[in-house]
Amino acid sequence: MMRVRGWRKTVYHTALWLVALIFFAPIAWIILGAFKTRSGILATPPLLIFTPTLDNFIDLFSRRNIPGYFLNSFVMSLSAMVIAIVVSFMAAYAFSRFKPRITNFLMFMLLSIRMVPAVAVVVPVYLMYAAIGWKNSYIGLILFYAMFSIPFSVWILKGFLDGVSQRYDETALVNGGTRWHVLFRVVLPQVAPGLVAAFIFNLIFVWNEFLFNLILGGRDTTMIPVAFSTDLYSDGGLNWTFIAAMATAYMIPPIILVYVFQKYLLVGMTFGTVRGEV
Amino acid sequence: MQAESTERIAYAAPRTRGLMRGRAFLVRLLNDIRVFPALLLIPVLIFFILWNVIPTLWMIGLSFYKYSLMSPNERFLGLRNYNDILNDVQVWASLGRTFVWVFAGVSIQTALGFLLGLLFWGSRDMPGRRIALTMLFAPMIITPIAAGAFFQLIYEPTFGVVNWVVRQFGGNVNLLGDTNLAFGAVLFVDIWMWTPFMILITLAALGSVPKAELEAAEVDRLPWLQRFRHIILPNAKFILMLGILLRTIDSFKTLDLIYLMTRGGPGNTTDLIALLLRRQAFEALEFGWASALALILLLTAIAFTSIYLYILNLSSKRQEA
Amino acid sequence: MLQNWLRRSILVFVLIALMLAPIASAQDAHPLAGRTIDMAILGIGGWLPSSLGASMANDLFRPYAQENFGYTVNFTFAESPFESLFQRAAASLATRSNEFNIIISDSQWLGAFAEPGWIVDIDELIANGIPSMGIDPQPALDLELYSKVARDTYQVYPDGTDEIWGLPQEGDVIVLYVRKDLLLDPEERAAFEGEYGFAMPETFEDFEALTMEQFEQMAAFFTRPDQDLYGTIMQHSRVYDFQTMYLYPFMWSNGGQIWNPETREVWGVLNSQVNADAMIWNRRMLDYQPPGAVNAGIAENVDAYTQGKVFSAFQWAAVGLSMVEDPELRANTLIVPPPGFMQEDGSISRIYSMGGQPWVVNAFNTPEQMRVAVDFLNWWYLPETQLEFARRGGNPVVASVVNDPGFNDINPWNRAYAYMLTDGRALDFWHEPNYSEMLAVQQEGFTAFASGQVNDPMNTLNWIACRQQAILYDNLRSEIAPPAECDSITLN
Repeated sequence: MMRVRGWRKTVYHTALWLVALIFFAPIAWIILGAFKTRSGILATPPLLIFTPTLDNFIDLFSRRNIPGYFLNSFVMSLSAMVIAIVVSFMAAYAFSRFKPRITNFLMFMLLSIRMVPAVAVVVPVYLMYAAIGWKNSYIGLILFYAMFSIPFSVWILKGFLDGVSQRYDETALVNGGTRWHVLFRVVLPQVAPGLVAAFIFNLIFVWNEFLFNLILGGRDTTMIPVAFSTDLYSDGGLNWTFIAAMATAYMIPPIILVYVFQKYLLVGMTFGTVRGEV
Repeated sequence: MQAESTERIAYAAPRTRGLMRGRAFLVRLLNDIRVFPALLLIPVLIFFILWNVIPTLWMIGLSFYKYSLMSPNERFLGLRNYNDILNDVQVWASLGRTFVWVFAGVSIQTALGFLLGLLFWGSRDMPGRRIALTMLFAPMIITPIAAGAFFQLIYEPTFGVVNWVVRQFGGNVNLLGDTNLAFGAVLFVDIWMWTPFMILITLAALGSVPKAELEAAEVDRLPWLQRFRHIILPNAKFILMLGILLRTIDSFKTLDLIYLMTRGGPGNTTDLIALLLRRQAFEALEFGWASALALILLLTAIAFTSIYLYILNLSSKRQEA
Repeated sequence: MLQNWLRRSILVFVLIALMLAPIASAQDAHPLAGRTIDMAILGIGGWLPSSLGASMANDLFRPYAQENFGYTVNFTFAESPFESLFQRAAASLATRSNEFNIIISDSQWLGAFAEPGWIVDIDELIANGIPSMGIDPQPALDLELYSKVARDTYQVYPDGTDEIWGLPQEGDVIVLYVRKDLLLDPEERAAFEGEYGFAMPETFEDFEALTMEQFEQMAAFFTRPDQDLYGTIMQHSRVYDFQTMYLYPFMWSNGGQIWNPETREVWGVLNSQVNADAMIWNRRMLDYQPPGAVNAGIAENVDAYTQGKVFSAFQWAAVGLSMVEDPELRANTLIVPPPGFMQEDGSISRIYSMGGQPWVVNAFNTPEQMRVAVDFLNWWYLPETQLEFARRGGNPVVASVVNDPGFNDINPWNRAYAYMLTDGRALDFWHEPNYSEMLAVQQEGFTAFASGQVNDPMNTLNWIACRQQAILYDNLRSEIAPPAECDSITLN
């Protein structure tokens, strides 16, 4: 760990800020673009100083379908996450405490579905959904996204649960709690950072997902990334103002999440090996 | 145990005796040590069977057929799809490109992410740290569709910033149109998006190094390199390796970003395996052929991950020993 | 008395008749009268003609249906860009879904939609209607189009037959957009004539006689990278059919063929010396285009022209409105037929690619939706609807509208559009069910050559012909198998 003082500390912190700003620069460029006119975005040399306009956002939200797509994005990613977290938590608890013989096999197989290109997964699922009529349905997409989020969540949560002493469970059981009570009231709060980390990581995945939504979704279940790719072109040209405004509006929720839950995100990625702050 | 006593009261207020007995039985059953783990696992097993086992079996079945969405009558081909794929130069070429992509991308992201992670380690008292870290992590949370679209503009030779800068020095560069540069230009975006993830992983990994050991090393005035080798690396390795594993898996699947930026072009210089698969499955609608390729990829991925986890297990065992 | 009686009885009779009239007409009324029907149109994203179709449906057809048929219809419009619209439609239609009731299809998709029975057979609809849904024969949909090539492009599948599956929505051809300020500048003209020994064309008629060789010299003349100005721009992008559509003119106009539609033979037809030379010529045109042109598609082309980076642009007539949206640029733009190619006998021939889209009707529509779709299509081909479509920037294909004396003046590109829509000046490519697979192969090959990744045009054509022949053969579309030598041909 670096321990620096005085002016060297200032230099060190400035360097850190510089790194953060460099990574952020392309995004800042998008956000700036959202407040420019079309010719302002296409101008060479690039415009840094300009009169900002809100027209792009007004245009964006006055498009008939866009508010609905935002709503779809919110509803589907949140409900998929809640289902995935509950299922994963129960499974991870079983793996951690009862160590059934299939643990390793299941943990591995769960991961395997994340390993293949999405197209490979989506072909058979598409055929299955077509057969049972789940294409373009909320339930089909939500459960599919939940399934896709389970493996990673189980992996994170198992790490955290392994770190929670069995004595917690035992004490609570002796005191007369049911197992379910122990599970959700005693153990669950202990792994909050893992839950939050799993929640955010998977939420970002679903929030940004494109291909499944394109193939398994439809008119009523379109989310923002698909809308992005379908509305990308305006009459005859790439619609830069639309892209910039949409990207900006769309980035805000996950960025707020990362800002608010930053602490948990870092602890979460330790897979339960750290209990304090990182 | 406040919550528990209220629950007891709830149980003690039945409407009928029979219902109470039934309910008590149910509570006991749900609580039974033999039943409880099974109950915990049932939901995940349902998900696993419905969305993993059945589709995989379906995919295996399809891979022996000529099955196109457009012609309802499928034809049994036996192993011909596999034979075609294994003899297809394009498949091998794009697999090769994918391996270069994964290897180059993940190693640069890991190296850069690790170095920057080290740099950010110990920045606890940095002013505005939370905002700076949010900005640093922002690239990995934007949708690849948006990133791809905007980098297309940034790279555009006529209107883009990059070529504007190059022109100031008298050059001219068309990053996405040049067969020698396009691959690197797209890879750069991938690196920009995912290096922050490796920084995050590194920070988490470094956080898992026990403070006591670090302080002891400080007291012993152990040289930096030694500290790194004997204290930091052994403790941080597990999480780092997991991070690399996750990145490798995701990098292998890259689709959205390239699809938006180049569609695999110019020529086929950025045509990764996921793009090829997408084209066969959803443009040509050749589900049989695509399923066979998907299965081959699944087996490849499982093989790689197994090797990976095997190494990971070995190292964690050595650590325990 | 008698008169009174007569008068009274007449009055009573009239009154009864008046009271009965609504009942009588009710028997005649539209079966959907009083109902509300929701319809969805799937069209091409960011494509003005598609969105025009949808907006006219809501703005004009909705009140029309209310007034004439007594039902309320609400249209929603879903869209996808060219390259993903087919997969979106196919993924939906394959589940026998009526998610999209009317689809704006690209012309080459007709076979892919028709073969599995996803869309309504228009021949059947015209001759017999759909008796199971109580829909009468629709002779009004038997349209007379402006040219045979338009009918072949927007209606016919399989190629070379008379069966029709689509109805033209938007007609489209490639035209040339030229900047007048540069073309007509006396100094530029003098400098050009001094350098190349002939005068640049000035009028529409001059451009009819212009050859590609001459145009190339003009493009070279205006290529001035130091002024950020280039001679022209075409489309060479790998996306969808972009490179293909701008390469075909070089092949067709010089006598090249892409296949034999009767035997569905590609090998030996596509890989000809004429076509190889065409590829070289098409690639040479990149010398006069902005540096990004090797990736340029429709949108990039519009950007380059509207931002003043190019002297001229080969571009679809359908994006005319976006190309000359700015009134100043509109006044400054001459829209003419693209250059012709000098033939051995000294004549000039030009055969450019057809664009444009037909309407197709989802075969899985409910009877109500089917009836509204039929009403809508009948309305679409009313002369006043077609003229309104043109006034809003669309390109009608119906003969009576295009032949209307006022048509050429509606939009600045209309004259060039009608000129190029003529038989012998434009062609469309295969409407095969497997078009998308065949297209993907040649887009890969053509762009590999255009971008300089490979440099042997003949080998590229051989490779494409092998793969396309294999696709046709494997799908039982052709009895001709790819020759054995295909095993040893690779792209690079």
